[in-house]
Amino acid sequence: MALKISDILPAPSTRIFDRDDEERQIRAQMQIAPVISNRAAPPYGHRKGWIPRSQDDFGDGGAFPEILVAQYPLGMGQKKSSSNALAVALDAQGKIKYDAIARHGHGKDKVVHSKFQDLVPKQIDEDDPSFERPDEDSVQENTEKTRMALEKLVSGKIAAAMPVRAAEKQAPAQYIRYTPSQQGVAYSSGAKQRIIRMVEAQKDPMEPPKFKVNKKIPRGPPSPPAPVMHSPNRKVTVKEQQEWKIPPCISNWKNPKGYTIPLDKRLAADGRGLQGVHINENFAKLAESLYIADRKAREAVETRAQTELKMAQKEKERKEEHLRQLAAKAREERAGIRRGDEKGEEEVGDRDEIRRERHKERQRDRNLARAAPDKRNRLQKERERDISEKIALGLPNTGAGQQEQFDQRLFNQSKGMDSGFGDDEGYNVYDKPWRADKEAAQHIYRPSRNKDKDTYGDDLDELMKTNRFVPDKGFTGADASRRREGPVQFERFEEEDPFGLDKFLKEAKTGQKRGAEDTRSSRDYDRKKRRE
Amino acid sequence: MEDVQKHSVHTLVFRSLKRTHDMFLSDQGNLPVRDDRSEWFRRQCKINAEYSVVKDLPKEPVKKHISQADNPYNKWPGQDTQGADTSREMMAYETSRIPPPADSNKALVTIGSQQALVPKKAPTMPKPDWHPPWKLYRVISGHLGWVRCIAVEPGNEWFVTGAGDRVIKIWDLASGTLKLSLTGHISAVRGVCVSPRQPYLFSCGEDKKVMCWDLEQNKVIRNYHGHLSAVYSIDIHPTIDIIASCGRDGTCRIWDMRTKACVHTLTGHTNTVAEVKCQAAEPQILTGSHDCTVRLWDLAAGKSRVTLTNHKKSVRALCIHPTQYTFASGSPDNIKQWKFPDGNFLQNLSGHNAIINSLALNSDNVLVSAADNGSMYFWDWKTGYNFQRMQAAVQPGSIDSEAGIFAMTFDHSNTRLITAEADKTIKIYKEDDTATEETHPLNWRPDIVKKKRY
Repeated sequence: MALKISDILPAPSTRIFDRDDEERQIRAQMQIAPVISNRAAPPYGHRKGWIPRSQDDFGDGGAFPEILVAQYPLGMGQKKSSSNALAVALDAQGKIKYDAIARHGHGKDKVVHSKFQDLVPKQIDEDDPSFERPDEDSVQENTEKTRMALEKLVSGKIAAAMPVRAAEKQAPAQYIRYTPSQQGVAYSSGAKQRIIRMVEAQKDPMEPPKFKVNKKIPRGPPSPPAPVMHSPNRKVTVKEQQEWKIPPCISNWKNPKGYTIPLDKRLAADGRGLQGVHINENFAKLAESLYIADRKAREAVETRAQTELKMAQKEKERKEEHLRQLAAKAREERAGIRRGDEKGEEEVGDRDEIRRERHKERQRDRNLARAAPDKRNRLQKERERDISEKIALGLPNTGAGQQEQFDQRLFNQSKGMDSGFGDDEGYNVYDKPWRADKEAAQHIYRPSRNKDKDTYGDDLDELMKTNRFVPDKGFTGADASRRREGPVQFERFEEEDPFGLDKFLKEAKTGQKRGAEDTRSSRDYDRKKRRE
Repeated sequence: MEDVQKHSVHTLVFRSLKRTHDMFLSDQGNLPVRDDRSEWFRRQCKINAEYSVVKDLPKEPVKKHISQADNPYNKWPGQDTQGADTSREMMAYETSRIPPPADSNKALVTIGSQQALVPKKAPTMPKPDWHPPWKLYRVISGHLGWVRCIAVEPGNEWFVTGAGDRVIKIWDLASGTLKLSLTGHISAVRGVCVSPRQPYLFSCGEDKKVMCWDLEQNKVIRNYHGHLSAVYSIDIHPTIDIIASCGRDGTCRIWDMRTKACVHTLTGHTNTVAEVKCQAAEPQILTGSHDCTVRLWDLAAGKSRVTLTNHKKSVRALCIHPTQYTFASGSPDNIKQWKFPDGNFLQNLSGHNAIINSLALNSDNVLVSAADNGSMYFWDWKTGYNFQRMQAAVQPGSIDSEAGIFAMTFDHSNTRLITAEADKTIKIYKEDDTATEETHPLNWRPDIVKKKRY
């Protein structure tokens, strides 16, 4: 037994913490044989052939300048390796954990099935406690925990959606006792200590957000894929492919190229012609019975008609007999003496009756003409309805008739429409001033007095007389000095005809017409024909 | 005194032999009657010889002992002797590896249990429980479009359906008569659910709307606005006042029921999310998507906790086991069973090769999967044994291709199965009361099914 140096020396007055000592002590307590790996570098001068390889070889110090090898104490100056290979990790049995790569990038609590054992089926054993549902208490606890977490989320979301929120509650004030390092009368008015009250700065609840977050934050990288725990998909066999082949639909209307199929081919294709027509025999029965009923009805009608005919013949015979008797009687009378004058009196009475009626009618017409001019007699009405005639004759349309009405007398005649407008070549429609006899021009295009009084005032004539716009040029032959009232009116300029040549020519043109009698007769004939 | 006919000794011996033969012929080949005493000795020897290392297992929970105590297999003489305790623990160890078998197959399963001790052997399928077959019981026709979703009221008096004709209809469960029609959606209704704690009905549809109906006034009282595309499924959280909806925009949104605020938008799926389910225990939200994954979400953090990538086709159906801490997901390739909370894979139920639209599970451990072609498969949950297959008949006037089931649910008594179909009808199924295990035997042999790995 060698003497320990600590036994000789006196106990240290101040105790210094030393990790090695502590470890040694612990080891001594646990009775574990110390395994010391001595990785210290050989002492100076004995380093020939020795090369520092690991970080431990450097100890706490730096590189060894006498060893001519690239050295990186503390990894300094070493290039970072760009490889993202994972470090090999071992499991409890000392085997390599190959699923480390499957777990890489996943969270701590993520379950990743990656072993072959996870693919092997297991039997369901009802007695195994791991197959039992968790008991009420743990479920309730779990529920409560989840509920709190979700509630927090919900309240946060709701608050964020609110435009205005209540002022946040401030934390209670903190009191800090503070002893300044510079003590003295000069500092802090001689106090040794100060107590500081710290309060949170108040926030304006209505303050708009200071920073705009209108940028969409890109989504983070997705979690790494889970290992695929199934065999690769089988290749699709030809049979399976054929099973999945769905035939294209065939249209009755378009062929595969998209052209319309003609109607006859379409009908031939749809097989309607191939079907036999089956008609229920009841149709035949019905038709037969209908036919029989019809025939019977006809027979009955015929017999009835025949009996009626017979009866009518009998009646006729009876009447003839009666007439014959009367004639015989009359002959007898003529041969004998007149019996009385009843019949003549009757005829007189009838005539009086008619006379009275006629008289009454005339009186009524008169009264109507006097009292209600709109219900005038027919003759007058017809005279007014004769519109086209008037136009043909150059008379204005005075009637108020709106609908077209034609007088039948004008048709198929050589006068009126036919002759009144003259032939197509002759221009004689607008050759006379319109309503030359009346003062139409005076009234046309002028406001009615009373209506426009407030617009123009009383002196409308004055206004009209003032000649504000005088034309430089007038129509040739027009009398500029004369004032015109109303629209411009044109008249046919009759050329002078000193020799009567024009007249002669005109007569010669129309000379072939023979006479009025002929046309008259033909017209009468026409009319008669139409009456029939 | 009759004189006995004299026979030769040879004849007598032969007769005796024949009688003996007749007597024991009936139970020839049977195992001898088990002698409990010797059996016990044999076990003790075996325990001491082979399992002395693992004889003293750590104490199981007390509950387990109680469940073991009424096991008839445990009752043999000498139970109160000092060796009984170890034997009971031994039994617990053994029965934890095999499900308690029926009596008729005890011998077989005992062999199976010894095989199960050898880890190299592939596990055989344990004997499934017998379930009575289901049969069609009622057809309700009333919708003018595909019936897309269905939900049963918590009081089990009526159920509600939503259809492609934009109408939500409420039907009496007992009589099947229409009680109410609710109009308000402007496109097909894809999801309905009835709240157990409020007089509310929630619906979602292809018009991007999530609506809250007050069933006291039969009016829409809230609209949850936020989905960017059609909403395909909706579910209510059983204990917190939130609803989860998911849809074609690839997100699942968590709505606060009262404030209409979108608490979380669970993003991560890369395709349409077809189904969402909520539960009170962790994980509280699970979603199945057309990107072939199932995700389990951490509701408080709004992050995905587990991503299950085992499916090869899109996952359109999910269902949570009512009593076990497990769930199932349905996809055209397989139906998979999983364990909560980490989504450990349990087993595959394969065989239903159609687009599975819906899964339903009752507390009797009957899992039903319904597909787009109208086929329904009934499974035993524990073993994954398919005990019945059914093809829904279309209602008269529909073509055969209109046989398709979109949604399905058990009522709360677990005795009626209500399906929503593409032939515009609602069909109700019930168990066949007349069926027994003899009339509808299980077609099961322990070695016929080898589990597929994935």
